[in-house]
Amino acid sequence: MTIRTLRDYGQHYRPRMACLKNVEVFVVEMQDPKSGVKGADQKLNVTIIPHVINGQDILAWIVTKMKVTTEEAQAFGTMLVAYGYIYPLQNHRKLVLVPDSTLYRFQTPYFWPVQKWPAEDIDYAIYLARRNIRKKGMLEPYEQQHYDNLHKWMNPKWDFIVMQATEQYKANKERKKPDRVVLDCQERAYWIVHRPPRRTHSAMDYGLDRLIDPNAEEVLTFDVVRRTNIFLTQALMRSAVKSSMSLTAFVKFVTTHHNHDPFLTTPVPSNPWITDSDEFWQLNSRSVDIPTKLSVERWVLSFWELISDPRGRVDFKLFLKKEHSAENMAFYEAAEEMRWGAASAIPEKSQFIFNTFLKPGAPRWINIDGRTMGLTVKGLVVPHRYVLDAAQTHIFLLMKKDTFYRYLKSPVHKDMQKRALVPAPHVFTDAQLEANVRNRNPGVSPILQWQQEEEEKAAAAVAARPIDVKAMVATNKLDRK
Amino acid sequence: MDGVLLSKLKNQIKKDSECKTMLDALNKVTACYRHLVIALGSTSDSQNLREELKKTRKKAQELAVANRNKLTELLKDKTTSKDDRAEYERLWVLFTSSMELLEVDMKRSLEIGQEFPLKVPTRHLIQTGMTGSTTTVAARAMSVQNMKYDADSNIDTADLKELQAEITQVGQMMEEMEMKVQVAPWAVEAKQEAGAELKSTLSVGNSSVGVISICEEDARSCPGDENCCVCIPNGTDSPYSPLL
Repeated sequence: MTIRTLRDYGQHYRPRMACLKNVEVFVVEMQDPKSGVKGADQKLNVTIIPHVINGQDILAWIVTKMKVTTEEAQAFGTMLVAYGYIYPLQNHRKLVLVPDSTLYRFQTPYFWPVQKWPAEDIDYAIYLARRNIRKKGMLEPYEQQHYDNLHKWMNPKWDFIVMQATEQYKANKERKKPDRVVLDCQERAYWIVHRPPRRTHSAMDYGLDRLIDPNAEEVLTFDVVRRTNIFLTQALMRSAVKSSMSLTAFVKFVTTHHNHDPFLTTPVPSNPWITDSDEFWQLNSRSVDIPTKLSVERWVLSFWELISDPRGRVDFKLFLKKEHSAENMAFYEAAEEMRWGAASAIPEKSQFIFNTFLKPGAPRWINIDGRTMGLTVKGLVVPHRYVLDAAQTHIFLLMKKDTFYRYLKSPVHKDMQKRALVPAPHVFTDAQLEANVRNRNPGVSPILQWQQEEEEKAAAAVAARPIDVKAMVATNKLDRK
Repeated sequence: MDGVLLSKLKNQIKKDSECKTMLDALNKVTACYRHLVIALGSTSDSQNLREELKKTRKKAQELAVANRNKLTELLKDKTTSKDDRAEYERLWVLFTSSMELLEVDMKRSLEIGQEFPLKVPTRHLIQTGMTGSTTTVAARAMSVQNMKYDADSNIDTADLKELQAEITQVGQMMEEMEMKVQVAPWAVEAKQEAGAELKSTLSVGNSSVGVISICEEDARSCPGDENCCVCIPNGTDSPYSPLL
């Protein structure tokens, strides 16, 4: 039983799919026996089932009705099939409109996609149980997976599911043969749309669930109007950038990052979300020896890109070590840690940062101008999360304007550019894709990664300490004998 | 002394079996109602279907009230043993799940009924390919041999108003039930394991033989698509198959 009286203020409502109501009107017109697409009879050996339509006829009808080109009508028809208003009879898994003699049929209104009624798991469980009975245990692999999953987490309702499935099966047997065939095809088509098999695009994909019910009427009270008023006056007071300027900036961003966006260009070797092979992530990870050419190109674009890519940051730190100016980066990282870390650790961290970086005569003293230094030191008396903001920005700009360009001209970077590899794109067969799914591994544990980072940081801190001359003399290291 | 205990036990067993039969009946009616709602708005829709829906709904309501009373009486009884209580909680979960399905189906039938009215000069019923009547299903739901149709011609508008009232009634009943009965629905353990439905159905009877013989014909002329909708693999001729 779903708990109805719980008010948890969570996001439960699907966003309104505005096109569905219009499509319904269209479909009703389309199936009109006089003015719609002409239906024929389907002969399934002994049984004759009426009301099948041709792909060609559908396309022709859409073209005349909506007065559009064939390509657009094709796209529109495919949309109708993908949403489940029409379902194909032969290749039932592929939801496209093929403009030849492939047969389609209209879906019953109960199985139309409605924004208010998402396809529930309990219905799917009952359907799978019924299919299990009909197919005598031979479900498709993805259906079997769903079945096992549902059995695990819907276990309290499982008795009900089995009972309903058997009852529905018996009720279905009361109908005549042609109707039974139609019923089965309909329901199967419905579940292909709402629980698609692996690696198929689904028209029912949407972003996030919404907080408020889009179908609930918005009551226009005085308070609502007052708050809308305040919002709009504030919006008017804000200074806005001219669209010509913002759009050129946008276009520039898109053109520079075109090759790096996985939606616009297929990533090499392959998109892990699609092929379930995580080689792409492994090649771009922090600890890899030789990075990919694409990421090296990305580092050149701006200092921020270099810093945000973990492998890029490692490279930059290597360069800084060679130049013996690693204290800037170390200060930046320490300040970031303080900014994003726990509030309880702030006094301790601020003390550490002051002793290591800011105090006159500190081991890793950073070179910031007097005014910023004064402000920061004064702020550190009562430290809070953002005391180091001014110093951090100064250091960032320093690195960006000076060190970054030296890095780009340095042999470290040029060498990396030469050595960077271009991985070959993957070509997987269907069987290999299934194997990939089964062989997915959870990857390196984040705890392990964090421990490695901490060790590296400690090592860097040790290496950066100024050389204690007396200790070296004591251990005879300076002696040239 | 023994006689009193024995009669008490007999009473208990009778109550349990009554409960179970009523739940089975409710389950049957829910399944049939869903089957009827699927046909709504399509070419097998008609005056008769609307009336069947109304009758099935009324029966479902009666059964629901009877079930609820029985189960609340059993659950309120503090003298039941732990096992018995677990059993009653399981029955309660069955009952509430049935009611939820019924409520959703009622709401959907209201919406679809409003969209596809019957009394207009040109009906816009969707040509889905289903042309048969649903009389047999409704007869199964009402547990009668033949259905009698006696509704007036304005069934769609009058019925819809009643339906709206009934939906609110059911909603209120469910909220009330949730408040009054303290059963944790997630704590119930199912008795059936995965694949249990394969064992329970397909009794040897005329219908199953008929289905298989028709399918054999289909298999010969099937386009080779193994997912053809009515084909059952030819090799299995026993109603029971080896489990997964």
